[in-house]
Amino acid sequence: MSTFIETLANGIKESGINPQKISITSDIPFRPEDIKYLGVDYFHTNRGRAVAFGTGLKLTNPSLKVIPIIGDLITLGGNHLVHAGRRNMELTVICINSFIYREIAHKSAPETTTKFSAYSTFEEPFNIPHLANSCGAVYTARWTALHTDELAKSITEALQKNGLSVIEVLAPGLNYYQGIDKIESSLLNFYYENSEIKEGIEPRETEIRNDQKIIIGRFTTLERPTYLDTYNAQLTRVLGDKFIPYSGAVAEPKKEGE
Amino acid sequence: MKPPKDSLKTGTHQLSGSQACVEGAISAGCRFLGMYPIEPAIEISNYFLERAKTLDAVYVQMEDEISALAAVLGASWTGRRSMTVTSGPGLSLMMEHMGLGVMLETPCVIVDVQRVGPGHGIPTAPAQGDIFQSRWGSHGDYEIIGLAPSTVQEIFDFMIKAFNFSEHYRVPVVVLTDGYLVNLKSDVTIPRAEDIKLEPRRYYDGPQEKYLPFKRDEDLIPRLVDIGAGYKFHVTGLTHDERGYPIMNEECQEFNVHPLVRKIRNYAEKIVRFQELATEDAEIIVIAYGSSFSAAKQAQQKAREQGIKTGLLKLDTIWPFAENRVRELSRKAKAFVAVEMNYGQLVYEIQRCSQGNANTIFVTHGEKGVENSDDILNAIIQASRENSKKEGIIEYAPK
Repeated sequence: MSTFIETLANGIKESGINPQKISITSDIPFRPEDIKYLGVDYFHTNRGRAVAFGTGLKLTNPSLKVIPIIGDLITLGGNHLVHAGRRNMELTVICINSFIYREIAHKSAPETTTKFSAYSTFEEPFNIPHLANSCGAVYTARWTALHTDELAKSITEALQKNGLSVIEVLAPGLNYYQGIDKIESSLLNFYYENSEIKEGIEPRETEIRNDQKIIIGRFTTLERPTYLDTYNAQLTRVLGDKFIPYSGAVAEPKKEGE
Repeated sequence: MKPPKDSLKTGTHQLSGSQACVEGAISAGCRFLGMYPIEPAIEISNYFLERAKTLDAVYVQMEDEISALAAVLGASWTGRRSMTVTSGPGLSLMMEHMGLGVMLETPCVIVDVQRVGPGHGIPTAPAQGDIFQSRWGSHGDYEIIGLAPSTVQEIFDFMIKAFNFSEHYRVPVVVLTDGYLVNLKSDVTIPRAEDIKLEPRRYYDGPQEKYLPFKRDEDLIPRLVDIGAGYKFHVTGLTHDERGYPIMNEECQEFNVHPLVRKIRNYAEKIVRFQELATEDAEIIVIAYGSSFSAAKQAQQKAREQGIKTGLLKLDTIWPFAENRVRELSRKAKAFVAVEMNYGQLVYEIQRCSQGNANTIFVTHGEKGVENSDDILNAIIQASRENSKKEGIIEYAPK
């Protein structure tokens, strides 16, 4: 069992939400045993599309809690995250920032800092909490895989928010306990030595840079109307009594004989 | 299963193709539209919103067509009938999720309002250019179902058919209309609720602990369950076994993907639909679909008046292709005249099936050709005078 899955399970348990009512959409494959342990429904979607797929699930069954786990690091599907923030879709997005792709070794991702990419990259990394906050996310946080208690607490809090929550998790690949190699152990060591908790700090100041410690913590939490709130409000405003607000009760036509 | 009465606009109304498309979808129980606006499909999404307001339906304008179809797939898994509307450039983007929809065996309907391409083409000019893309556009091996309505009434009828097919075979169904047809206005008869037959979703009814999401029935279709009901199911776009767990080997690829193809091919004869006119004694058979149909019919009738024994085969389903019927007809007829609003797509299928038996003459037409049957008539005359068997496709060149 990876530490991340255990942390996620703890976060879900603490939130008091029945795991049955949770759907995880993910663009990285998890081990089926791990998913079974969580007790949720699980959709492994196309790469980068977990947020978009989750949008469909959430809109048509608002009683579900949807957790898109994105591992492709805001390359493929970056636009989906941005727009989910804009329309404040009720999704709890967990972005695994692994510094390098585990599955495709030695390939640098957009978030990669120069220090820890196998080939080193000259590109600037995204500041994910800042990006999410700018796009309208109602909850942003960043933790490393070593901060299990804090991460679990953040997941609990995010699941209780109405709107898009984005939690960045610095983790050297999801199953890292199963095959620690040089890069991973050096990354773990790096987390240990180089992270600093600064709760409530302005997201724009949380950039991951070579010359300073990685800033982790819960950064922002706010309230905004969700997509369905604004959808119902707008159509009620325009149509008045002619509009029946959308409730999301499953609209399968009645079966024969009923 | 019947649609809820209060959602239907039973009676005869003058509707545009776009409106008929939405009425068909609503009648079929569709309650979710995920889309990204594109000409000439915008009218459909606007009208859906208008109809959705009292039906507890919801729509979302996504950030692109990729996410539009992704959201539709997600929505379909919650048990809601879902669709998207788009045009050629959008369909190109949707190809990624067409593949995922096939792999996850997700029922959904994609309405493609075809316009000329490639690239941006002319946003409002109709075409039939997405015939092959709709069938072969995504990677890997798969089969889909494609329907091509040719009148406004047929758009309504075929939308219901499309949802029924997609629920029965658990496959994305593409409805190929075009920019001409969706703007056409005509009388449409919407039946009473009790006269509409809807295919219910194929739910699993055994004990929960024994549920396997990809265990196939005898007809090769796996059963669905509601999500959020404690089935803890695992669904992946990777090659998977009965449990939905990813297994990366050749045996599992065969186990998983071969039925995706067979579940359509084995039942192709049940799916395929076509209409025939005066083919019994016909020497020349015009084959048309979609907007080309009305001009093809005109030409066929004029040719009969001139004494040329001409028949007409109108294809309602494009995919799977009406292979057996075309082959049968090719043994009796002298030539096929294939009419399309493109530079030759479905004619390759026609020629493949008629090869060695009947000649295949191809007539292309644009927007003006939808109402003008001169080229088709001339091609019929040319075909009737040709007495030798020709290899390959003969392109009709207007004088």
